[in-house]
Amino acid sequence: MDSFICLYRGMKYSRLLAIILVIQALLSPLVADALPVFARQTGQNCVACHAGGQFPELTSYGRLFKLTGYTIGTRTVPLSVMGVASFTKSANPDSDVAFAKDAVALFQTGSIFLAGKVTDNVGVFSQWTYNNYDHQDLGSGKWKGKWASDNFDLRYADRFIGPTEDFIFGFSLNNNPSLTDPWSTAPAWIQYVPTKFGVTAPDASPIISQLGTQVAGLTAYTFWQQTLYAEVSAYQTSNGAWSFLSQGTKSQDQTNLKGVNPYVRLALSHDWGPHSAMIGVLAMNAQIYPDSTNPVGPTTRYRDRGIDAQYQYLLDPHTVTAQFSFIRETITNGDVTGVASNASNTLNQLRLKASYVYRAKYGASLSYFSTTGSSDATLYPDVAANPGTRGWVPEVFWTPVQYLRIGVQYYAYTQFHGASSNYDGSGRNAKDNNTLFLYVWGAY
Amino acid sequence: MNSYDDCMPAHRMVTETRTDTRIGHLKRQGFHFSLSLIVVAGLAACNLPERSRSLGDPNVAAKTLALQVCSNCHGVQGISVSPNFPKLAAQAEPYLVAQLKSFKSHGRSDPAGFEYMWGISARLTDDQINGLAAYFSSQAPPPGKPGNLTLLKEGQKIFEQGIAANNTPACTGCHGAHGEGIQQFPRLAGQHADYIVKQLMVFQRTDERPEGVMMKGIAHELTPENMKNVAAYLEAMPSSP
Repeated sequence: MDSFICLYRGMKYSRLLAIILVIQALLSPLVADALPVFARQTGQNCVACHAGGQFPELTSYGRLFKLTGYTIGTRTVPLSVMGVASFTKSANPDSDVAFAKDAVALFQTGSIFLAGKVTDNVGVFSQWTYNNYDHQDLGSGKWKGKWASDNFDLRYADRFIGPTEDFIFGFSLNNNPSLTDPWSTAPAWIQYVPTKFGVTAPDASPIISQLGTQVAGLTAYTFWQQTLYAEVSAYQTSNGAWSFLSQGTKSQDQTNLKGVNPYVRLALSHDWGPHSAMIGVLAMNAQIYPDSTNPVGPTTRYRDRGIDAQYQYLLDPHTVTAQFSFIRETITNGDVTGVASNASNTLNQLRLKASYVYRAKYGASLSYFSTTGSSDATLYPDVAANPGTRGWVPEVFWTPVQYLRIGVQYYAYTQFHGASSNYDGSGRNAKDNNTLFLYVWGAY
Repeated sequence: MNSYDDCMPAHRMVTETRTDTRIGHLKRQGFHFSLSLIVVAGLAACNLPERSRSLGDPNVAAKTLALQVCSNCHGVQGISVSPNFPKLAAQAEPYLVAQLKSFKSHGRSDPAGFEYMWGISARLTDDQINGLAAYFSSQAPPPGKPGNLTLLKEGQKIFEQGIAANNTPACTGCHGAHGEGIQQFPRLAGQHADYIVKQLMVFQRTDERPEGVMMKGIAHELTPENMKNVAAYLEAMPSSP
């Protein structure tokens, strides 16, 4: 029992320390540059770290900034705010009210960031997001907003560098597998400016991309000679002392992981001239209780194995980038009954994206996504009993000033839930889910 | 989960005994504790000035800043990989001092300057500026990079003789016979061609580098083709002497 008290005191101490450090940072001198917090900290323009200014994709320098724990620069007021206003139009919103909604959301979401350098070796990137359209009131049908935890990455990093060696290593406490990754092919980063309106992604996706703000993880990583990146992490459900990482998620909605679940990542990176390329692999195993409110008994086992690659050409005024990510998931139900018809299933997710930005102002991108997998009538109750969903997303955007972006994306589906036409048995076609999404994104 | 209708089984299976649950609880607490320890250790870590990335601390040595911060773009030995960033190796020391001071005072305001360097230089002390200039100027000069022979030949002519027809003087007069730089006139030999072309454009078309006002007149008559040729020649120049 004494040991429990010590543990409890230890945790209280860490929280107290965190609070003191935050207050100390808040009281440090204000640098009055009209830029978000990392830019204020380094005094640099957003394009230094973000490829062609396209948040959140990082340049080589941005990757080093992140991997050295957000510690380059001068400690400043560690606060930023971000807001998204949007307009969504579905091709055929009426026939399935469950998800194909039209919306003019003048204020869709807003975030507060507590981010930046804490000490020479410790930095943080944490985000709390207010979703203005979190849920609809059952009685009136009116939308209700809610604050919730978003990305959280608290790092300790150090770097040994000299004429012939360059060794960065660090640790991170975070709440999403692959959030720590510096490349945009990571499941946590490949899709940005999301909306809950319309249909903007396949419904089925690997477990690795579904654990954000559900879990607490500890990561150890290294980047050697700016060539080899290796990361090992362990994730558990973020409850108890770590519930602040999943604040805003109701416990019945929170994925309940059994024990500690490993995530491993390896990547090779090479820069030459204005080019930068990366090829990598990732793996995650997760055991999940079928009933999140009752974490006992048999679990469903997910094994995600991924390969990804990224290319960037950055030479003012041109920015060209390309991403590829393929994740194959095996789902084994073991003794779990009732969640699927098959004892095991597979799910494959392919994502491709290419973008071009001129003068860090005018940009266009084209994405392709294809999700395929084994058929299972319980998991996928539509006619084809299959997750197969494919489509294209063209996008154009304009960044008139570095902390404001206006963009329009069009999600065009060629297949949905395993069929291109009449996928739901009621005459709804894949293209009825096509969605136009216009957004205005701003940060300070 | 992978189901898109959020179906969850209604039944619950209780197989663990009370002791199992308690052991599980203990294990979880252990996990929490080890996480706490690492967080506390991280937060409590004292400053390590020999490996600091702080830009507002006068106690951080210039060499530390060169390695921990400047090298991210300019390379550990001053030989940058990306042509977005100039090579600083063996650059004339007085030129480096003048540039850092010009960034710091916002005198130099070309995009490459204010986007990257204003912030980096904002709080550097004179000692740090002198130390950084000494560090990079003492590095071995960058080796030449092979280029297109036609461009090199045309570029060499401009570098050595200038363009008599429009009174453009030879570069050698100020930058040295081998482009090695003299005092406040920078080394050009081995520099990225793209960087040289962009800076010639800045001199010719803007007033963003007032300290280089002399170059405004010199670059005045250069055509984009002239700039490309001379830049290719400079990038290819061997590192000696």
